[in-house]
Amino acid sequence: MLVRFWGTRGSLAVAPTAASIKGKIARALVAASGRSFADEGEAGAFVEGELDFATGGTYGGATTCVEIEADGDGSFILCDFGTGSREFGINAFGRMAQGHKRVYNVFMSHLHWDHIGGFPFFGPAFDPNSHIVIHSGHADAEQAFRRQQEEISFPVAFDWLRAKIEFVTLTPGESYRIGGVNVEVMEQQHSHVSYGYRFTDDAGKTAIFSTDSEHKIESMEGEADVAAFFRDADLVVCDTMYSLADAVSMKEDWGHSSNIVAIDICHEAGAKRLALFHHEPVYSDDDIQRMHKESIRYEELTRRDQPLEVLCAYDGLEVRL
Amino acid sequence: MDWAEEARDGAIIALPNGKIDESSAQDFGTKLEEAVAHASEAAAKLVVDCSGISYMSSRGLRALTLAKRKADGAGVKILLAAPNGIVREILAISRYDKLFGVTDTLEGALAA
Repeated sequence: MLVRFWGTRGSLAVAPTAASIKGKIARALVAASGRSFADEGEAGAFVEGELDFATGGTYGGATTCVEIEADGDGSFILCDFGTGSREFGINAFGRMAQGHKRVYNVFMSHLHWDHIGGFPFFGPAFDPNSHIVIHSGHADAEQAFRRQQEEISFPVAFDWLRAKIEFVTLTPGESYRIGGVNVEVMEQQHSHVSYGYRFTDDAGKTAIFSTDSEHKIESMEGEADVAAFFRDADLVVCDTMYSLADAVSMKEDWGHSSNIVAIDICHEAGAKRLALFHHEPVYSDDDIQRMHKESIRYEELTRRDQPLEVLCAYDGLEVRL
Repeated sequence: MDWAEEARDGAIIALPNGKIDESSAQDFGTKLEEAVAHASEAAAKLVVDCSGISYMSSRGLRALTLAKRKADGAGVKILLAAPNGIVREILAISRYDKLFGVTDTLEGALAA
């Protein structure tokens, strides 16, 4: 199983500014200390090998879209239609041209605009030979998708899309066989409710997609149920948008979680890897990198029997399980 | 997790001992809120002597927040004293050092 991240920001898509790019280049030049490079390849190796990620790269700015590539039935498996789904759609056209099945099984955490706002720009929705099945715990999912393409908001109406598009409502607590993988659904705490998904392929590899889920301070005992849902997962993609202090104070009831809680639940679940996800849009690359380093350190300080590898999701990251 | 309390110098001093994680956080929270009540009755501040805490997970930190909400309602100030290196790092990583006053020593908390 391969998990590919197309969009990792929460709330609002962001883009780097000229000033932030200039800052990265300046830091890179200082780090190079006057070295010269024979070609772009050599320079690229220096960037890869000697610069930290915030300087030599970027966590990106597209909103939530995560692909699960499994040895299933050959369909695409996608989580959420944030703005990252635009790039995914472009990539999917290339794969379909090489023979990939033109079926998309999409699993929606919820219907807030950062998770559906990429759909009007999703190229395969215009492909008459594509079949898109949108699975959701929300019975009103179709209403949300249609409404964002009403003329007051967008010039292309939902009914103009040429793909075969279906909406399927899933029930939390049930198990399904979709796209050739086993799928379980968990209800989560968020405005208008959100849903987490557990994907297990026939090789036994398990990936969890749990974003926009608040772990309320008044119901901490319920986290045992979340740990059970995450049990022994090879990868947990988890909302880690705020510091714990923010999550219990000024950002309480905003529907998100923290890196500290995610690590604790993953420890309790015996998960192998955690990908920090749904990054706060006001965070710079340096802020996210700092949060990643601190999370790694927190995991070390509170580790039990097995280490939990703490990754930080970025647009373009691929994790093979 | 073990727990002791003493009254001294205008404070109720709570002395938890052990690790605070999902197995002990509920007990820790209950004892903390009882200590808040004791401090309120004595018109005293509550100082949590953290020197006996080996580490604290998010459950323990959030139990502190729940106790602080009760304390704020009762007009009781809570201070965290003498955390070890690990707990001090956890307070910084979680940004809880922005929510609670933290002193290096118990005496520093009693004097604050």
